[in-house]
Amino acid sequence: MNDLIIRTEKLTKIYEDGYRTVALQDIDLTIARGSLSCIMGPSGHGKSTLLHLIGGLDRPTSGRVYLEDMDLTSVGSSKLAVLRCRRIGFVFQFFNLLPVLTVLENVEVSMMLAGVPQKEQRERAIEILRLVGLEEKCHVKPNQLSGGQRQRVAIARAMANNPDILLMDEPTGNLDSKSEQELLTHIHKVNQNGKTIVIVTHSQMVAAVAQRIFLIRDGRLENS
Amino acid sequence: MTRSKLVIKNITRKKSRFLFTIFGIAVGIASLVTLLSLGAGLESEVRRQSEQLGAELVVTPKGWCAYEQISVLTGETLPEAIPNEDVEKVAGIKGITAIPYLVQRTALRNQPVPVVGILSTQMMKFKKWEIDKGEYLLDGGSVVTGFGIARQFELNVGDALTIRGAPFRLSGILKEKGNRDDLAIYMDLATAQRLYQVGDMVSFIAVKVDDITRIDGYSLEIQERANVAVVSDKQLVRSVLAIVGSVRNTLQLVAAVAILAACFGIINTMVTAIHERKREIGILQALGAGRETIFSLFLYESAFYGFLGGVIGIVGGVIFSYVAAPYITQNEFTAFLGSAQSVEVFNPDVVGKAMLFSLLVASLSGIYPAFQASRLSPVEAISYE
Ligand SMILES: Nc1ncnc2c1ncn2[C@@H]1O[C@H](COP(=O)(O)OP(=O)(O)O)[C@@H](O)[C@H]1O
Ligand SMILES: [Mg+2]
Repeated sequence: MNDLIIRTEKLTKIYEDGYRTVALQDIDLTIARGSLSCIMGPSGHGKSTLLHLIGGLDRPTSGRVYLEDMDLTSVGSSKLAVLRCRRIGFVFQFFNLLPVLTVLENVEVSMMLAGVPQKEQRERAIEILRLVGLEEKCHVKPNQLSGGQRQRVAIARAMANNPDILLMDEPTGNLDSKSEQELLTHIHKVNQNGKTIVIVTHSQMVAAVAQRIFLIRDGRLENS
Repeated sequence: MTRSKLVIKNITRKKSRFLFTIFGIAVGIASLVTLLSLGAGLESEVRRQSEQLGAELVVTPKGWCAYEQISVLTGETLPEAIPNEDVEKVAGIKGITAIPYLVQRTALRNQPVPVVGILSTQMMKFKKWEIDKGEYLLDGGSVVTGFGIARQFELNVGDALTIRGAPFRLSGILKEKGNRDDLAIYMDLATAQRLYQVGDMVSFIAVKVDDITRIDGYSLEIQERANVAVVSDKQLVRSVLAIVGSVRNTLQLVAAVAILAACFGIINTMVTAIHERKREIGILQALGAGRETIFSLFLYESAFYGFLGGVIGIVGGVIFSYVAAPYITQNEFTAFLGSAQSVEVFNPDVVGKAMLFSLLVASLSGIYPAFQASRLSPVEAISYE
């Protein structure tokens, strides 16, 4: 299992609006297929930026990101959108769900974007929601769910198109420890099914299940 | 889940804003529909009416303005008139046929009906009238009516009519002509002059010329000899169309302003919505929505405003034309315009055009906001709030 799915090369991101912020500098890292990794470090030190670059949601100032053998930095924006749709799933800290849609519809949306026919969308959405234990919440709006439930829906939605990689930005940041434990169980299950998972987190509980931890400080990767 | 379902869920989330935006475009489209309905067969209708006049020139009292001259076509009764001495002077000119007549009104079952005093044989020849029922007899005690009046008031030959307090017998009914001639009672000129106490006055003199190329010469000669004004059928048409045109221009301006305001309403609504939903746009982008997808989702939203606003506007416009029609037709002038279905209340062509226009205008308004949405960087959208 030495197979690498993500590799970065001197990845650098500099924001230049008014004043210059070096968010990330010369990051070289590799992530093995099927692994569960954590990105840790103080707030404002570049963790989210790194996650966005890995997932093709943003473009680096310099350096490269490889998804398998594909150089994401040289791929056009519509191709990048297709990659996000089919191969990568995102979960953010909060406001993941579209508030006008029900839980079921939220999961369906990601499949709609992938061009899955309506009937299949519904069947698969119900199946995935069952996996995260929310099948009875299908027709509820997100604002009627608890924080932990919302994050489980977000995970279900991220998994809907059966991506290879799941990227999560502080998914348990807003949860009490019981909900965090519960969510972690689901994340663990997803990982067991062969998905590569990268989690930005401050939580020791999350870090405890990780096979690998990247420590980011001042935009640089510290050896850990 | 489909795109259209997503669009509808998004568009209806702010109910009052949704309704105001819809209302804006609906008002614009309603005024457009009213304009187009009114505009439709109007011009050709005016020309048709003037052809039925059957005269190249009409002699009117001196000093009449264009609006007063139009009463020749509309049948409106104005107090000024032409004395017999002028009628004789005009009739004396070589190369023309002069047909004097007097336009008055009476009431049948409380509804106003024109009474036209004519020289019976001359007028019948001039108008090429034919008799439908009874006989063509006009004298001190007999009148004939046009086909339309007979049908409207269910009159039969031999019926007794009271006109201005005097008893008359209906001697005959004319064949249908399909014009205003159907809508009057005809009486001997001298009888009418006596009944309405106008002395030897007539309202107009219709003039047919023998040599159409000399029409301007005749017109001058009439005005030199008699103390009257002369208007040609072409001038009459021009005057009517000028008035119709000014009404249409006003409506056009109203429609243009209303639609322009609606466009800004849509732009404003969409820009606000995009600002509020920035984070959601970011989520969609993270889920794999590309620029084209975001662009089309928002363009559909504004097009949907055009669709709903168009439907409501068309229904509103049709209802408005229908409700307003009786008020408009109270005026003699517009009654004349409305007389032959020139105001079409429901016209599929107009409805189709208005719908298309509504969709087009709404979509155009949506282009800028949708473009803005599609240019949002995913990270910026995600990090928002
Ligand atoms: N869009 C942006 N424009 C300017 N600076 C930004 C932007 N996004 C992030 N930054 C800056 O980059 C740095 C790293 O941010 P981030 O990756 O969000 O940190 P973390 O996730 O570790 O808290 C911070 O200093 C932040 O202010
Ligand atoms: Mg962060």
